[in-house]
Amino acid sequence: MNITETSHLPAAQTKARRRAFLDLARPSRQHWLGYILLAPAVILVAAIIVYPLIISIDLSFQDVKLPRMGAPRKPFTLENYQRLFSSPEFWQTCWVTLRLVVVVTAASLVVGLGTALLVNNRFRGRRLARLAVALPWAVPEVIATVIFAWIFDSSFGLMGWLFIKLGLANQMVAWFSDTTAAFWVVATTMVWKGYPFVSIMALAGLQSIPEDFYNAAKVDGANAFQRLRWITIPSLMPVLGVTMVLVTLWVFRDFSIIKVLTDGGPLKATQTLSIMTYNEAFGFFKFGYASAVGVITLLLCVVASLAMLGRGSKAMY
Amino acid sequence: MNRTTSQNIALYAGVIAVCAFLLFPIYWLFVTALATSAELTQLPPTFWPESPQWETFAKVWAERPIPLWLLNSTLAALGSVILSMFVSVLAGYSLSRFSVRGGHSLGLFILTAKMLPATLLVIPLFSIFRSVGLVGSLWSLVIAHSTLIVPFTTWMMKGYFDTIPRELEQAAMVDGCSPLSAMVRVILPVATPGLAATALYAFVLSWADYAYARTFLTNEQGSWTANLGITTMKGEYVTDWNEIAAAAVFIAIPIIVIYLFLERYLVGGLTAGAEK
Repeated sequence: MNITETSHLPAAQTKARRRAFLDLARPSRQHWLGYILLAPAVILVAAIIVYPLIISIDLSFQDVKLPRMGAPRKPFTLENYQRLFSSPEFWQTCWVTLRLVVVVTAASLVVGLGTALLVNNRFRGRRLARLAVALPWAVPEVIATVIFAWIFDSSFGLMGWLFIKLGLANQMVAWFSDTTAAFWVVATTMVWKGYPFVSIMALAGLQSIPEDFYNAAKVDGANAFQRLRWITIPSLMPVLGVTMVLVTLWVFRDFSIIKVLTDGGPLKATQTLSIMTYNEAFGFFKFGYASAVGVITLLLCVVASLAMLGRGSKAMY
Repeated sequence: MNRTTSQNIALYAGVIAVCAFLLFPIYWLFVTALATSAELTQLPPTFWPESPQWETFAKVWAERPIPLWLLNSTLAALGSVILSMFVSVLAGYSLSRFSVRGGHSLGLFILTAKMLPATLLVIPLFSIFRSVGLVGSLWSLVIAHSTLIVPFTTWMMKGYFDTIPRELEQAAMVDGCSPLSAMVRVILPVATPGLAATALYAFVLSWADYAYARTFLTNEQGSWTANLGITTMKGEYVTDWNEIAAAAVFIAIPIIVIYLFLERYLVGGLTAGAEK
């Protein structure tokens, strides 16, 4: 039935047509329902993520202390970025962030993959062991921080005592006032919180490798190490790649652990870009400058994840 | 695969050693909560409390506003779970069932939110909330936590809906259901396990937040969430580590319990999001 015919129809039929027009069950109208169902999520994301993001980028080009919504916009300026790039603190912060990302990601991958391979074996109580290995994932970051702050306490902490016992130190170590020690305390806490995610992902990946591969390899005489090297690792690469990006992004953006543990100190030795963003905004009320740091962090996140995944970056989704 | 006895022993020993090593910090939290003040300030440390001080839990519960903090955390989490689930169930269903033009890009657009540093978003959100008077209110957390949750839950729900055969709602529509009622009456009941897992995961994300709570909740103790509250217990005068540990146990337990329920679905959900 085409449009020219419609005009000749009696009124009742036109009415029926109109109802049919609103009838989302008709295959030709179904994509409308698709849009309607998608709309709340898109509107919410636009209102609470995209709009604030635009404000942030805009703030980074203004010299603002504490912005008020609705106040007239300050003149456009590149001053925040100029000040940022000429500040030694910013470069130190980048260096700290980079070191932390590399150390924590590498260590989490090793521990996470190791534990996943271990509990992927068949044995009694395997389910319990899997639950246990991934348990730190469930501990809120702030709680993990509390635990490690006590373990690394400078007067009665377990770690100081252990170091003396092992002959690595003569007296209790002031973990949080030494720049190198503080960095390692932060890294240790983050690895403990971060490796279970790698375990969970790697386990899922391991379970999707067909048993036949291993049987065939064994027939060909491959030993355990060769099977790991030539079957397990290559099959896991896609999952591990995605996992590595997600862990990297997490370390890049993490706030709670460092904020509570060291607040970026001592002497900014554990200050990452995230902490710098926050402290410039809510410590010194330099919102424009802080937004500039945040925008740079975001750009680095995007560049890093694209670089790590290359053209396959869609695999991340 | 058959192992010899010695290989078996090595495997069990390895598993037990690794688990013990990795879970030691959680054990240490409990030991600390149960230790006496004297035990906390002596070296070598006490690895097994001789006289467990269970009353520390009662003391912390009574003397600190922990019940109130837990209530605030729960309310904020429930609010953000309801808001996020409402939008992400609809969006996930749409992404799974309708090949709408641009639907995939819209989905990716929702996901890019996951790349944003919270410390960048918190700046504009703070000035928006301040201008509408939401600073200090739990509603600010409900909205802000949705920024963390929606990107994940939308894709978790899409992944789950993908596993439900389309024939189900097609049959319902043949029986006279509209597409919307087919979704509500047929698909959502079938998707209950997926809905529960996603909602619990959303709850965990909200419960774990510290950055937004620290920024939006005012100096008034009564409005704090549990995570925010516990950080203020550290080093007011002298840090009472057993009291902090006891409070930390209260805060960690709900999430650990949820985790034990969630673990099976969690793997599916997380990897579904990653392998797309």
